[in-house]
Amino acid sequence: MNTLLVTATEDGIGKTAIALALARHAQDRGQTVAYMKPKGTRLRSATGKTRDEDPMLARELLDLDAGIHEMEPVVYSPTFVQDALRGREDAAGLRDRVTDCFEDLSADADLVVVEGSGSQTTGSIVDLTDRDVADLLDARALLVGEYATGTDVDPLLAAAEEYGERLAGVLFNGVRDAAFDELQEDAVPFLRGRGVPVLGALPRDPALSGGSVGDLVEELGAEVLTSESVSTDAHVERIAVGAMSADSALDQFRRTREAVLIAGGDRPEIHAAALEAAGIEALLLTGGMRPPSAVLGRAEEAGVPVLAVQSDTRTTIDRVEAALGSGQTRTAATVDRIADLLAERADLDALLD
Amino acid sequence: MKGALSSLFAPDRVAVVGASGEAGSVGRAILENLQADFAGDVLAVNPNRETVLGTACHDAVSDIEAPVDLAVVVVPPEVAVDAVRDAGEAGVDAVVVITAGFGEAGAEGATRERELREAAATHDIALVGPNSLGVMSTPVGLNATFGPRMADAGSVSFMSQSGAFVTAVLDWAADRELGFKDVVSLGNKAVLDEGDFAAAWGEDPDTDVIMGYLEDVGDGRAFVETAREVTAETPIVAVKSGRTQAGASAAASHTGALAGSERAYEAGLDGAGVIRADSVQSLFDAARILDGQPLPDGEGVAIVTNAGGPGVMATDAVGDSDLSLADFADDTVAELRDALPDGANLYNPVDVIGDAPAERFEAALEAALADDAVAAAVVVACPTAVLDFEALAEVVVDVHEDTGLPIATSLMGGGGTAAAEATLSAAGVPTYFDPARAVESVDVLREYAAIREREYEAPTTFDVDRERARSILARTARRDSNRLGVEAMDLLDAYGIPTPDGEIVESPDAAAGAADAIGDEVVMKIVSPDILHKSDVGGVEVGVDPADARDTYESLITRARNYQSDATIVGVQVQEQVDTAAGVETILGSNRDPQFGPLLLFGLGGVFVEVFEDTAVRVAPASEPEARAMLDDLDSAPLLRGARGRPRVDEDAVVEAIQRLSQLVTDFPAIAELDVNPLLATPDGVTALDLRLTVEQEALEE
Repeated sequence: MNTLLVTATEDGIGKTAIALALARHAQDRGQTVAYMKPKGTRLRSATGKTRDEDPMLARELLDLDAGIHEMEPVVYSPTFVQDALRGREDAAGLRDRVTDCFEDLSADADLVVVEGSGSQTTGSIVDLTDRDVADLLDARALLVGEYATGTDVDPLLAAAEEYGERLAGVLFNGVRDAAFDELQEDAVPFLRGRGVPVLGALPRDPALSGGSVGDLVEELGAEVLTSESVSTDAHVERIAVGAMSADSALDQFRRTREAVLIAGGDRPEIHAAALEAAGIEALLLTGGMRPPSAVLGRAEEAGVPVLAVQSDTRTTIDRVEAALGSGQTRTAATVDRIADLLAERADLDALLD
Repeated sequence: MKGALSSLFAPDRVAVVGASGEAGSVGRAILENLQADFAGDVLAVNPNRETVLGTACHDAVSDIEAPVDLAVVVVPPEVAVDAVRDAGEAGVDAVVVITAGFGEAGAEGATRERELREAAATHDIALVGPNSLGVMSTPVGLNATFGPRMADAGSVSFMSQSGAFVTAVLDWAADRELGFKDVVSLGNKAVLDEGDFAAAWGEDPDTDVIMGYLEDVGDGRAFVETAREVTAETPIVAVKSGRTQAGASAAASHTGALAGSERAYEAGLDGAGVIRADSVQSLFDAARILDGQPLPDGEGVAIVTNAGGPGVMATDAVGDSDLSLADFADDTVAELRDALPDGANLYNPVDVIGDAPAERFEAALEAALADDAVAAAVVVACPTAVLDFEALAEVVVDVHEDTGLPIATSLMGGGGTAAAEATLSAAGVPTYFDPARAVESVDVLREYAAIREREYEAPTTFDVDRERARSILARTARRDSNRLGVEAMDLLDAYGIPTPDGEIVESPDAAAGAADAIGDEVVMKIVSPDILHKSDVGGVEVGVDPADARDTYESLITRARNYQSDATIVGVQVQEQVDTAAGVETILGSNRDPQFGPLLLFGLGGVFVEVFEDTAVRVAPASEPEARAMLDDLDSAPLLRGARGRPRVDEDAVVEAIQRLSQLVTDFPAIAELDVNPLLATPDGVTALDLRLTVEQEALEE
């Protein structure tokens, strides 16, 4: 049996999508696959119980029957952390729980994909970091990292050396075009020289960051003021803030693309400018103020959705940044795209055979 | 006037769809207004009534047997589109939709407005509104509005984007002898807009002046084309609201449209030959004098006054205008000497002194207007014991009629001037209290005379490499940013705007190679779409010896990384060093306006643009004379022409660069903004040293 831990130098660089896409490739190769995320960190309260979203997505996408409680034996919630600090959690007991669940899940599996959580230090307080999990479950580790500049090699090499013999290799994700040459020419040879296998580098795909306007509506609980005939499918990954004069607004809005405008409901000239700029995909109006109906009419005509939230502009910016930035909009489509990129750009055999 | 707009303004049969007898209803107001004066037949449509106000009701326009020329729709918004379709199926050419609740009323209304537009297109209907006050035409007594009064007859045709403004204007004009031919409240402009009415009135022999109140112009470029033709024959005066930040906000809230930048309107309306008024008062002053007075054939104006102080004020106003104070010929002075007593001022401004009766004004005015240098006169009169304002009004009218030359008056009195004002107004001679307004109104005549003499040349088409330009612009499709910088200098080259030798390099070795190839000192600049102000972050080195190019490359990259670690760095540009001291740094740019399309901007670099905002703006495409006029517009133009020991630059090369850029931004609407800063102008030509632009990729793909 092949146990593969997907871990990363920091949170939010695509562990989930890569873990699930690898599992899919294994399934395509006829392998029986199990999935586990020992520490649940992306918490959302579903039916009263706080659970991680990733195992739910895994169950759905990989068509698994295992119970969520087995796939995610430790819920790494603020309450859990508090209890651990107060000495109410027993590290040995937790380790037993993780191994018990693992044994159940892995019974018939050819491959168990174990998704890590957070960064390399998450779980230290109960001796359950990703590194600890690798030893506990006797897993090989795939280390996911980013590359923008040479300094990104520091944390990557440190983590790789931690895993030692357990390291299957390093996979770069979300690499911008501008950094690709430097990565290939300098960083990869360097890492190989230090005995770190590099299994691939996936380019940054704009379609994989951000989310749809509809996703934002859901995340923010926003009210949609335009009619249903105005699509909320457009993809957004940036924020434009409408806090300038009307004259410079249009210039600034045109310099952005795939952006959502955040502005007070009382700035009709800013709204009108945003409706003229091709790169503004939606208007998000703050402070619970409705725009003039003439603006809504123009938006309807332009096919640009107008959303309204009660919170002020400052708070709204933070919420939208959180929603767009941390890739909280992981969906089946994201996994499909990453699976394609893995097939093209990564050494799958080294991981799955 | 021809076609559908003649059905609109000169119908034989008008149907009111939604006619009502209910007191206070719009359906009743319109029916009553039509019944009051209209020369043709008025028909009522209301399926729920047998008769309304004594007129038999039809169930629908399609139930009326005789053909209907104009349908006025006042039914509720939910059924308004159906009513228009019914009228269209019945063969009605023109429809006015009074009903509100369309695009101005939100999402549902916008959908309804689209349906309305589609219905009008399907049945080829000339449609006014929706959300309109209605239309009027005085020759046939047509008042298809729900306003409180009918316009007085006259020869000014008036369009307004605000219905309320129409009622206010008619009320005001009635007291001031200003009469109208046609009046239209444009409403939401779903189909017919300002350009359509300008074109129709331009061909209407009974319209002498077109007056407009505009909040936005839908298709600015088309309006410019139309207005250029119209204003060769018929003056257009317009007030455009929403000029300030707060005004723009109010206008956006009213129409949902971006008011557009002030300089775009200024350039667009000026380029179109539209006389722009900055207040309602100056709008009327302009319309009245254009309606009543002939055009002067020169700039020289004579001032005739009985009061020194007001005469000086009038003279100052001439100084502020584009008129000039006429310099009298010797014969004129001699004639004035004969006609006027000792102590009078025989030179312009002519002071006939305080004891002058009306006859002395007459003699002075005749003498002044006989002078070849005098194209128009302004009479300024203060009340005195010996001056009878009514007699003065009569002599002014006589002289005006005898000479056929334009005259404006300033009667600086209170209620005592009323009868004189009436006499003057009846003859079309405007009169004001303030002498400056009298002068300003004459300046409007001069302005329109100049507009009529304009000849619009077609823009020059240069031989350019359009495909190469397209592929450079398309580069943004593959990047995160939609901005391009010096790495796109080839774009200018493709359009024949000279650029220095140079290339973008991505390594220290390549930098050294590029510098060696140039073989002299070079300029090196960081190339990154994320770093806009390169020199502020140490991203530019000038006078680099080729031997130092390698080190300079490293230090530029390091500085850029320190400034912004995640900036996308395309490379470093190694460019032939151009001696900027040998010329004048100018800025040549473009910015696409939502209404008027690409605007061209030219000015001198540094403080002239940034602090003094001394720029010339035109709507693209610019012809050769327009491009040349941009230089003349600049207060700082002398600095291009050798002032204070500077080199006199090659103006033809500057003009050609403006035209070539004009062609580039006209060819590619995807260029949202572009700045060549600086464009170095020298005695030997121009060179573009730096470039920044924003590309709207979606527009490029179209």
